[in-house]
Amino acid sequence: MHIPDGYLDPISAGVTWAIMLIYGFFAYRKAALGKNLEVVVGLAAAIFIAQMFNWPIPGGTSLHLVGGALAAIMLGPFEAFFVLLLVLLAQTLVFHDGGITTLGANVINMGVVAPLVGWAAWRLLSRYNKPLAAAVAGWASITVAGMAAGFEIGVSPYFPYAWTISVPVMTTWHALLGIVEGVITAAVVEYLLRRAPQYVRV
Amino acid sequence: MKKLYIFLALMALVSPVFGVWLANLIGYHEPLDVAADMINEVANETLHKVILQDVSDQMNWTPLKDYTVPGLPDWLGYIISAYIGLAIFIALWLVARRVKKTR
Repeated sequence: MHIPDGYLDPISAGVTWAIMLIYGFFAYRKAALGKNLEVVVGLAAAIFIAQMFNWPIPGGTSLHLVGGALAAIMLGPFEAFFVLLLVLLAQTLVFHDGGITTLGANVINMGVVAPLVGWAAWRLLSRYNKPLAAAVAGWASITVAGMAAGFEIGVSPYFPYAWTISVPVMTTWHALLGIVEGVITAAVVEYLLRRAPQYVRV
Repeated sequence: MKKLYIFLALMALVSPVFGVWLANLIGYHEPLDVAADMINEVANETLHKVILQDVSDQMNWTPLKDYTVPGLPDWLGYIISAYIGLAIFIALWLVARRVKKTR
């Protein structure tokens, strides 16, 4: 889901960077970072390593955990923003996984949209069935984040009609990939609820 | 928390099996690249142009691009990259711990 350099025009890149910074300021004020900083960094390290595990999918692609829903279920959506921000900063600045011009869009998709959607799904469904709620949260987080990525690369002053092409393609594709995110999220949340419930704080 | 970092360090050793070996086995493409190819295909038919072009190679700033280390085989570069990333997070964790103690 890491959008590389060249997929966004300068205006879209600037707008997404601005949204990332504004949301980041808002999240900083909402999150209890002082209390959770060690867990935020630890979870960022775990997601960084988890994202290096590419699971092959028949047809020539592969996928890895994004972890937005998982982080939101564990810490809440605002702390999750900082978890994913740390992961994406390390990936972009050190390993050029995702572009610098598209960092704002990547943070919005994986650090804002995915945690918020995952958190909302978890809050809505966890009272009925926790593993199922975590699975839906993981799946929905990737599907909507993929939709957001499709919208970002489609909406551009240079290519005004492209979003009608990019949104359906990206949404459909990520809805399929999201199944695995859902399964992994459910497995980790179920494990934590049994072995270390103090880490499922939402 | 120390146990977590030890576990992650062990996981990093296994990561090339998934990130390099299996990826090469299936001809790995980032899902977004596959979607971009589909978008370009449709855009080429409807708008008569290719609209998504990855320019990462033209504006690269790191020798560790895509978790590789120049001069080393991909699997070893992948492990070293994982440890570099892990070292960054451990350094941040140590800072976070110190900040918490001083409060």
